[in-house]
Amino acid sequence: MNHYQLTIKADDKQVVLERILQVTRYRGFLISGIEAKVNTGTNIGTIVLFVRSERSITLLVDQINKLIDIKEVHVDKSETA
Amino acid sequence: MASDKPQTGGSLLFNVLQQHGVQHVFGYPGGAIMPIYDALYDSDVNHYLCRHEQGAAFSAVGYARASGDVGVCLATSGPGATNLITGLADALADSIPVVAITGQVPTSAMGSDAFQEIDIFGLSLACTKHSFQVTDINDLEKVLHKAFAIALEGRQGPVLVDIPKDIQLAQVPTDSEHFSPLKNKVKLPPADVVAAKALLTAAKQPILYVGGGVGMANAVDELREFARATGLPSVSTLKGLGALDPNCDNYLGMLGMHGTKASNLAVQECDLLVVVGARFDDRVTGKLDEFAPNAKVIHFDIDTAEINKRRNADAAILGDLKINLPDLAAELTIGDWQAKCQQMKADCAWDYNHPGDTIFAPAVLNEISNKMPENTCVTTDVGQHQMWAAQHMAFNDPSNFLTSGGMGTMGFGLPAAIGAQISRPHDCVIAVTGDGSFMMNVQELSTIKRFQVPVKIVLIDNAKLGMVRQWQDLFFDGRLSETDLSDNPDFIMLATAFDIKAKQITKKSEVTAAIEEMLDHNGPYLLQLKIDALDNVWPLVPPNTANDKMMEST
Repeated sequence: MNHYQLTIKADDKQVVLERILQVTRYRGFLISGIEAKVNTGTNIGTIVLFVRSERSITLLVDQINKLIDIKEVHVDKSETA
Repeated sequence: MASDKPQTGGSLLFNVLQQHGVQHVFGYPGGAIMPIYDALYDSDVNHYLCRHEQGAAFSAVGYARASGDVGVCLATSGPGATNLITGLADALADSIPVVAITGQVPTSAMGSDAFQEIDIFGLSLACTKHSFQVTDINDLEKVLHKAFAIALEGRQGPVLVDIPKDIQLAQVPTDSEHFSPLKNKVKLPPADVVAAKALLTAAKQPILYVGGGVGMANAVDELREFARATGLPSVSTLKGLGALDPNCDNYLGMLGMHGTKASNLAVQECDLLVVVGARFDDRVTGKLDEFAPNAKVIHFDIDTAEINKRRNADAAILGDLKINLPDLAAELTIGDWQAKCQQMKADCAWDYNHPGDTIFAPAVLNEISNKMPENTCVTTDVGQHQMWAAQHMAFNDPSNFLTSGGMGTMGFGLPAAIGAQISRPHDCVIAVTGDGSFMMNVQELSTIKRFQVPVKIVLIDNAKLGMVRQWQDLFFDGRLSETDLSDNPDFIMLATAFDIKAKQITKKSEVTAAIEEMLDHNGPYLLQLKIDALDNVWPLVPPNTANDKMMEST
């Protein structure tokens, strides 16, 4: 099982967090943890997502990147247990 | 009818639709969308009343696919909205640009389990490219423009806009914001053109594998020029049919589960796959680990997420096919491979000789294909008839073959044909369907009647859910669970009830005259072909099996 930490920057729009969670589940990643906050000045949200899966993280990064309100996605940590 | 009413959210919707060139919409009214239907009353947009919201969604899909424009459908809240979902899922799976407008209960009632309230915004997450819920009249115009832009940009898809009733009724501010087109957010990596060209020129046995992305990119001419310049033997996915010239010597037909023997054998033997707007779908690859086992891959796509998703690419070329395909064109020395593929094609040609006087559906579809007017648009439902149409009919453009590829939705064919016919009133439109699929959206016969849509319906009737029955016979020990439809209604009487001319034939000797009568008829027409219930679709690659291990008979 691979463990990953992602940092996602997104416009603070309706259901953006739900969209990220739906895509994460559907694409075969289990969520171990999540931290989310919004900068009220810029209206940009930062979501740190801890996920695990047998699948390559690029499969999830590419799918999250396709969501309309996402600004950027970074893989901060990648560990194979 | 002129009106002095102030502009409301409802009337703004139709103004925006007209700004985007929308002339025709498909829908069904209801309580929470009544202000929009009231505004429609004053609008120049033509509304086609379908008899079920799923029919409206599929008509919008058919309209979009046949015309290349965005298809638009309308539905009320609650059940109206949920009835759209299958159509939206279908549009998502096949990357079809559709904008769906749903009415919603007033904002003050939202979240209170109000009458006909459902969280369609939440439900839309898994079946749309994007969705909006408008809770401020000041946002409506911008959101509607964005919906069209998102539906069309990059990899196309469906967008839903949920509009509460009070927003539909609200007066629109006069200083509305002008819309600026979206910029593609995803920065595409540089194309591997040099690497791809090296792979292409080094290949001894390359294959061009073409998918639905070519039609979506409006790149048929560029693809055909690329195929001509390189001389690559070529194969097509179900959704790619029509992109390649069906009369080209190097074209081997459809690949995959019900693909031609020549296509599947050539792909298994090739040393390079040039993949254009295709995504290694499981119905194409069979057992993925054994698909084209010796091939390197050059992958053209608009969607970054398709690269390396199911098969790694040795070179990836992301972006607009119209621009990228010509960059890879090269003259190749592959005469021996071309000759081998052409010989396989000749050796595996379809055989339309069929014993007895029972109607043989593949031969009928091939005869219709040969006789139908140029630029005829064919839609299908899902099942055996769909695969026979894909195998035995020829199409000169992807917009002339509309079938539910990714989602495989029974009930698609009839409403999609209505949408196609409305978008292309001067072209012949034929819906090829089966007796199971036909009944899934049979209420749309009423739409045909109301608008005198001259769709020709070819109903291939084996009184079975034929494809499921075939699999039960082949893979479930002949245990025919719930696939008998021998209590179907009298289809001729049914069509006649909607003032649609109809004819049933049961013998081969009746086929030619019946096809000619159908094609010569000016209005809608239903031709019912009774076929043998045990006819199967061949070849068939069994599930999780390599494509060269296909079954050709029982």
